[in-house]
Order: sequence, then C-alpha cells, then structure tokens
Amino acid sequence: MSEQRRSVAIHVPVLTRVEGEGALDLRIEDGDIAELRLRIFEPPRFFEKFLEGHHYTEIPDMVARICGICPVAYQVTAAQALEKLFGVELNPWARDMRRVFYCGEWIQSHSLHIHLLAAPDFFGCSNAIELARIAPDEVRRGLRIQALGNELMELFGARSVHPVGLRIGGFHGAPALARIDAIRDKLAAALPEAEALIRWAAGIAVPQDEQAFVSVATRHPADYAIERGAIAASDGLLIEADDFDAHFAERHEPHSTALFSTYHGQPYLVGPLARLNLNHHRLPERVKALLNETGLVLPSRNLFHSLVARAVEILLALHEALRLLDGYRVPDSPWVPVTARAGITTGCTEAPRGLLWHRYEMDDDGRVVNARIVPPTSQNQARIEEDLRLSLLSFGLDQPDDALRLHCEKVIRNYDPCISCATHFLRMNVDRA
Amino acid sequence: MSRVRILGIGSPSGDDQVGWLAVDALLACGMQAKGEIVIEKLDRPGAGLIARLDDAAWVILIDAMQSGNQPGRVRRFDRKDWPTYSHGLSSHGFGVLGALALARELGSLPSRLDLYGIEIGSANPGEQAGGEILAAAQQLARHIAADLAATLLQA
Repeated sequence: MSEQRRSVAIHVPVLTRVEGEGALDLRIEDGDIAELRLRIFEPPRFFEKFLEGHHYTEIPDMVARICGICPVAYQVTAAQALEKLFGVELNPWARDMRRVFYCGEWIQSHSLHIHLLAAPDFFGCSNAIELARIAPDEVRRGLRIQALGNELMELFGARSVHPVGLRIGGFHGAPALARIDAIRDKLAAALPEAEALIRWAAGIAVPQDEQAFVSVATRHPADYAIERGAIAASDGLLIEADDFDAHFAERHEPHSTALFSTYHGQPYLVGPLARLNLNHHRLPERVKALLNETGLVLPSRNLFHSLVARAVEILLALHEALRLLDGYRVPDSPWVPVTARAGITTGCTEAPRGLLWHRYEMDDDGRVVNARIVPPTSQNQARIEEDLRLSLLSFGLDQPDDALRLHCEKVIRNYDPCISCATHFLRMNVDRA
Repeated sequence: MSRVRILGIGSPSGDDQVGWLAVDALLACGMQAKGEIVIEKLDRPGAGLIARLDDAAWVILIDAMQSGNQPGRVRRFDRKDWPTYSHGLSSHGFGVLGALALARELGSLPSRLDLYGIEIGSANPGEQAGGEILAAAQQLARHIAADLAATLLQA
C-alpha cells in the first residue's frame, strides 16, 4: 500500500473549556476520509431553560453569563427582541451607544483571537508566548487594542466581563463627558495601530483553499451591520429575524449535543468573513481604501482570510466608536420607560463570531415563557465539518499526522468557535490500521 | 509610573475571593492607595494583567492557588519557581500564569514581582470564604505591610 492509501485514525477525545466542549474524530481509510465529526457540547442550551419564569429586567444580566468574551452580543440581542415586543423606541443617544458598546466587544474579541489564537498558527508557533518571541511589537500592539476594547465595554457596562450597564429601554447610566473625551483620544490614537494591524494580517501567508459556501450575516441599509439589520445571505436572501425559522433549521446529530444549523438544508458560514463578503460596501471609505490596498478580493471563498477580516472589523469598530462619540452629550435620561406585554418576539445581531438569533415568548407580567438562542458557533458547526473535509483533501491526506492535526486546528480556529480555547489543547491518539 | 502596585486577584466564588480579602485587610491595617502606591482588586483580568505590570517598579500580586495543601497556607513564588508555561493560550482560559509568561516574553515584568499564592478549598459561586482563608489573607496583609514599610523606608 502506498503512503497515499494509508489508514489513520485521529481522535481528539475531549476539547474541554468553559465556553464549549467538543471533540474531533477523523478516520482515514484507504486514502479517503471515512469519518469526520466535530462534536460540540454547547452551554447556551442550558441558559434557555434558566431564563424561563424570569422577569424581562433580569434577562440582560442573565444572558451576559452565556459568554465571557461576547456578553454584549447576548445582551443587545435580547434587548433588541424584547424592546421590539414592548414597542420601545430607544432614544437616539441609547441607540448610538448600543453600537459603541458593541464595537468595544468586537475590538477586544477580535484582537484576542488574532493574537492569542490564530496568528501563532501561521508563524510556526504553538502559542502566543512563542509568537511574542518573534513578533513582540505586534503582540504588544494586539494587547493594547484588546485592552482598549475592554475599556470601551467598561465605559457602558461597568466591567468588561459580564457587564451590567445595559437595561431594556437603554442603559442604567451614561458616562460623563470627561470619560468620553479620554477614550476618544485613545480611540483616535489606536487608528494607526489598527491600520498597521491590517497590513500585518494581510501580509501573513495563508493556505490557498477556495471553497464554495453561502455567507449569512445581518445587513442594514445605513451601515455595516452590527447591532441591527435584517438577515441576508449571499444567494440573495433578505429576511427579517421573525422569518428565521422559515429558512434556517436546527437539528440534532447523534454525535453532538449542540444543534447543527442549516440554511435550506445546507451548511452556511456566519462570522467576520461572511459579514465582509456581504457588507464590505458599507465600510467607511478609509477602511475600504485600506482593504483595497491589501489586495483581498471580495467576496472571498478562502476561510483563512478570516484573520484579516477580523483586523478590518477592528478598524471599522474604532471608526464607528469615534464617529458616534463625536459631539457626545450626557442625555437627560439614558433609558426610556418600558411597559411589558405578552407575545412572541425575535432579535438578531452580529456577535464577534457571527449571527446571533434570539426568540422569546413572554407573558403578561413580562416573564419569559420560553426562549431560544441560536449562537454562531452552532450555526458554523456543519460548515466547520464541511470545511475540514474539503480542506484536508486539498491539504493532502498523505501528510504526516502532526501536520494533519495542526491543519485541522487551523481550520477550526478560523471560525473562532467558542471551543477555540479547547482547540488550542488538541491532543490526539493516532491508531494506524 | 506607579512605584508599587498591589494587585489582589479573585472572583466572587467562595475561597477564590482571597486576593480581594488580602487587599481589604491591607486597607484595614492602614495601607493607603496614594502617591506611589496603587492598590487594586482584579476579577480574572486575563491579558489585561500585563498592562498593569508594565508601568510599575514593584508589583505585589496575590492570587488563590490549589495544590492539594491545607487551605490557608501561604506560599511566595520566586520567578525561578514559575513552572514553564507549556500550554497553548486561549481567550477563554488566559490565567495569571499565562499572563506572566507572556509578560516575561514581552519584557513587561517589573524589576520586582512578589507573587503570593494562598491555598484555597472550595470556590463555589455565591459562597463566603472560609475562616482559615480570611485569617491567611490578614496574615499575608500584615506581612506585606511590614515588607513595604521596611523597603520604602530604606529607599
């Protein structure tokens, strides 16, 4: 039997970490992929049950606990859905600051992912500490950008991990002008750093791995969609959040406790590259110009461009935060009154990792009857499996086991799944037939 | 630049509050955060710890540890005692040791870093810290206050 016809089993038994648990099973028989399964055990499922019976005033703080990295996404999506049901019209200040708050999360989450998770792969490093030895200035810059994102979240949320500033109807408080002035200076100072980050990210050599897939992201006529917008797909679909179930389906697979999502029966992509593919024309002109400089052609079919997509979105978020904080005034009230009503409602926003969809049924007292939360990681799960299969075939199944494992990790990390921490600890047992 | 930065790391989970309790004990015994001394309580700072190391000459860092010893036991770690950090870093699991290891690579460590670990038992959300943990925090606070007084007096 030739090397190309070998049989290999790569089994990653447990990917254990707080934001998601999973495993990867890969079996190659006679030079072909006989089995490939990414198993994820997704925590948000438990939260849906926890929410039942709780008053709407508790929901923002409860859903923030779903993720330590992207709590704002969960808070803003829940607020959007409930405010729609209650007929709440945010005041212009709260509407703008919701986006600024969310920008902080994009900045910190993307910078962490680029520098601590993804970039080491492309420099032959096993972690960020090794990367810091060969690219200390870039890692320092990444940490500064990440810290600025956290600071922006703290400004409106009182803390960056599980913030507590958001309420249905707006925010509990409004930052003083002096604090806004201070952070505006920092945001402006970070612009050249973010531009340099894009150039650096675009210069990293990545595998050429073109694949066909459908991109799904929210889209808004006025701006690059983050905290509002309809759901769009690269095949032309444009629907409201209420129509999600008519086009997207979740199903159980025996090997995973997470639900697999499909769009018209097929895997699909959510996340930074999907957003950039669909909404790049909505980027600010300065960001567009820099993107053009990189030579990245959009829409991209190469998931390895996700790293540069995150860098682009960091610059976008800095620009947006600066724009919206320009002329900041402390409002008369940071929130508007809310009157609860019964009904069913949905909401969707763009978490750093992609589309996040919520559905709530509320009773007359403003308590949750039931809830559904569809996070980006479970939406991407089927796409990750598909990508792994295609990417491994393109990479070559005859590669050494370590190279196959590393390639699998790289592919998985492109999606920045909430199991990303665990995928950095991939240990595998190889059984040769 | 702050000359001395005292950082108590913790979370609101049972004995894991010990870093915060040590800071409380320091303040209770008259230590004041003013001038060249900065005192902070941090809640799982992750990579954010690095920026707080960068701008100080002397950092005193207090955190909980679990090594199987009796809860309340205090241990001071020298730099040479830090185990080599061989795991991959992640955005979700970026702990104190990872931050220190990365700070070392980036040349961001202060000239003096006192790392204290206090052995803890259970760390369940919403629970109070045990009596032996509180006593250990107070004991360590007295030690740190005396160390600071002696060192800063000599300076």
